[in-house]
Amino acid sequence: MLVFAASDKGGTGRSVTSINLAYRRALDGDDVCYLDFDFGSPTAPAVFDIPDVAKEAKGRGLHSYLNGMTGEALRVDVWARTEHQVLRSRPSGAGRLVLLPGDRTGGEFVTDGASLHRCVDLVNALRREFNLIVVDLSAGRSYAMELALSATAQTELRSLKTRWLVYHRWTRQHVMAAADLVTGERGIVSAGVSLGHDKDQLLGAIRFVRAAVPDLGSPQWSQVPPAQFAWMRQCNRELEGIAAGLGIGRSRVLGSVPLEPVLQLQEQLITDEDVLDSRIANIQTWQAIGELAERLADDKHWGLL
Amino acid sequence: MSEPEAVFQETSARPRTEGVPFAHLSLELGHLYMEDFAEGPERLRRHFAAVRPWADAARAGAVAPQHGRRRVSTCFLIDDYFSRLATPAELVPPLLDAAEHAGLTIDYLARESACAGPNEPRRTSLAESVMGRLVESPPPGSNGFRPPVSRTGWLANGRRAPAERTSAALDATGGWQPPSETGARGHSVFVDVELWSGSVERRTWSCAFLAAVWQLARLGLLRDRGRAVLTPTPWAADSFPADWDALPPLLRLNPTAAPFTAYYTCSVLPSRFLPVEHAVRVILEQTQVDTGAAGHVAGLSASEGMDLPVGAVERSAYVFPPGL
Amino acid sequence: MATPEETTRPVLACGEVRTCLLPSSRALSNKEAELLLRLRDDDHVRVSTRPGRHVLSPEILTGVDCRFPLANRAKVRGVGTVASRAALTEGRLLQASSYFRAPVEGPDRRQPWGYYLARPGTLLPVGRIPESACLQGFLTVREEGCLDIGSIAEALLARISRHTGLLDYDVPLRSAATKLWWTARPAAPGEGASLERFTLAEDGVRTVLLRVPRGTEITAVVGLCEDLALHDWLLTTMVEKLDDNGFGSADGTATLRVLGPLVDHLLHLWMPGARVDRTLGAVWEVIEEDPGFSRQWHTLVQRVRDQLALQAVMSQRQALATG
Repeated sequence: MLVFAASDKGGTGRSVTSINLAYRRALDGDDVCYLDFDFGSPTAPAVFDIPDVAKEAKGRGLHSYLNGMTGEALRVDVWARTEHQVLRSRPSGAGRLVLLPGDRTGGEFVTDGASLHRCVDLVNALRREFNLIVVDLSAGRSYAMELALSATAQTELRSLKTRWLVYHRWTRQHVMAAADLVTGERGIVSAGVSLGHDKDQLLGAIRFVRAAVPDLGSPQWSQVPPAQFAWMRQCNRELEGIAAGLGIGRSRVLGSVPLEPVLQLQEQLITDEDVLDSRIANIQTWQAIGELAERLADDKHWGLL
Repeated sequence: MSEPEAVFQETSARPRTEGVPFAHLSLELGHLYMEDFAEGPERLRRHFAAVRPWADAARAGAVAPQHGRRRVSTCFLIDDYFSRLATPAELVPPLLDAAEHAGLTIDYLARESACAGPNEPRRTSLAESVMGRLVESPPPGSNGFRPPVSRTGWLANGRRAPAERTSAALDATGGWQPPSETGARGHSVFVDVELWSGSVERRTWSCAFLAAVWQLARLGLLRDRGRAVLTPTPWAADSFPADWDALPPLLRLNPTAAPFTAYYTCSVLPSRFLPVEHAVRVILEQTQVDTGAAGHVAGLSASEGMDLPVGAVERSAYVFPPGL
Repeated sequence: MATPEETTRPVLACGEVRTCLLPSSRALSNKEAELLLRLRDDDHVRVSTRPGRHVLSPEILTGVDCRFPLANRAKVRGVGTVASRAALTEGRLLQASSYFRAPVEGPDRRQPWGYYLARPGTLLPVGRIPESACLQGFLTVREEGCLDIGSIAEALLARISRHTGLLDYDVPLRSAATKLWWTARPAAPGEGASLERFTLAEDGVRTVLLRVPRGTEITAVVGLCEDLALHDWLLTTMVEKLDDNGFGSADGTATLRVLGPLVDHLLHLWMPGARVDRTLGAVWEVIEEDPGFSRQWHTLVQRVRDQLALQAVMSQRQALATG
């Protein structure tokens, strides 16, 4: 399965949440690779805690590969290379977890026929070995997104199950921007259709992930004054209304990730240790990501509604 | 290594190469567009009259062993691939007449479309085969990855100028660079040859590419999984069919002709074909011929005491006479 | 076919073999394999059915003009062609090999391209290369601008992987690909083939150092290395699958899910040395002595069978208990 992580705006926690998803699927036994297509600001090495990767990837990362500067993109075995205390030993039953870092030297790139061809080759090579390929795209309408859409429209990749996660924060602006990224002008659907995708099939493969959503039922919010709490509930209802009106209501949402200090402040992997032992992360976040990871692979949450 | 041969053998695992007979020289008596034919018999007579003295010279200068008969065969290629203005019945007899009028005999007549499509069921297209044998000459700095020519449809004799700026923003290294010919003497004559147009499924082969296939066929360097290709069909009749597809790809019109395939080729051509033949040489220079076929011709020529150059390019020559 | 200049000077040979499971739910028939490996329309695909099914593509060439990866960091340019071929064993295991021969001395400037095409699979130094720095460098130096033979092998795998008409990518078991880098230099006169070293490195990389009798065809060496790579891949994959699953705790269906595909798709592939040229057979004897590939394999196979037998007994007992 191929999963693209997209967002219209930055600050949605798209990268860090996707990395956590990849990690959780690997813990579950999937062989997972994570491709850092976020050509503006590669964050994956930091989240996986592999400090040397940036230097190593220079001239050998995904950008260089897609631009035809190198014949193979660098692969980094996360379990073997991370300096993260918990990740260092691959748990029994866990699958492979491999990072394909981007490299800054590539910067933006021109998507021509040759880079499209290389992209298809890369995905084919990866799907020989991995059953989950997570691709993190940069925010907004990017060349990377166009490449993703054209590659998956090629006959060679038609049979590959492809899913899109569109991240947005739980605010009016973010909800509207996310809807526009999918169904708006030059959005994923219209661009996809012009590149050869079937509209319904593409729409059925797109789900939204709400990020940094305050969970009003949690004890965290029981302390706020009643008037404020009532106002927040009101806002929440209004936002649900807006989202539904834009066609991205609950049924199109794969899951929500709570407002989580660890994701926001630290941009790091959340391990069971963070939740159970050091308790720096909330159990709700751990569960939410777990639920997302499960639904990601569960067909009943996908398809046209 | 003089190992004893294995007792158990599977024929499908040990392929063989079929041999073909060889002349010393294959002499091409010109080439015409369909429009030239449309100008009438006088145009054809002028053509062969201009070819005649140069054909004689090529025949006289053919590389051959000192003793024994000199084997030279003549051929003519009709363009039925790009346009078919007239039928073989209309077109071929005046052509043969005009040649005869100039004192020339066309031993073999070939159709250009024979160089493109498969000529028999379950056989591969000659053009497709040759394309699979292109090994691009690497410009300095090539360390292993380049998009294959089968995808781009273009073959160059050097390094192309970058089509557009591909470097990242704020990276000043991506300025314009000129193309360069690999192995140029001082200055470049850079050529980029279009091999085909259209989609990969429905290719239209370029004239230059088909001409390269034609050269390789005359040099006896083409095989289809070891079997000989484009073997001549004897043609005794004076009449020709009304449909090009009903005409065999290669006819032997002269029953006493020397073999079609030859150690060397010489083509007497109008000079307007010079750019095309330059392209042909760019293609031949980068074609890895069938090793079985190459070994066969090397063995045969050696048995005649001839020392053939290895490359197809060195075995093909041209005359571009004035007034043709 | 040795070219004249090589009869007197030593010739080195280097290559890489990539081995992976064919991305398909089932093994391909010989007919399908022939289509898959028809890299050149007009060339033979070699098909053999004894002692096992093995299909071998025609050899294709890639032109290169770049620096030799030399261990002493000297800059010597090499011009010529790298040969590649693909093999499919039992319709199941796909291998792509890229390799070249390099005489230690070549013409002192680049020749017309036809000169190199007449020496397929030969990389000629412009000048001289130091023998040991070349062999060592091939296994250790991965530098920008140096020969990138892995990319050539990978491009061949990529080309084959595009046959989505024949390949459904629905693999019965997931496995990692391996890369085997090998070098071969001439043995002392009168001496036979020998294995100097076989190393398992990280990230699925294996290195093999060989000495082969003078005049050995490079394709024979390639065949040996493909055979080594194939059996090493089988061992690697089997170990990975068996180690990864704590059978004690797993329930019956989980065990079957892991072991079933191994039985269906891998167990019958073990046939060390079956296709190796006789002159090189001694290399397998060394490996069988130490570390003993077959010994390990048979132990693993026994483990699979024991687990399955145990499962059968358990489920029988369960059926009795509940029935």
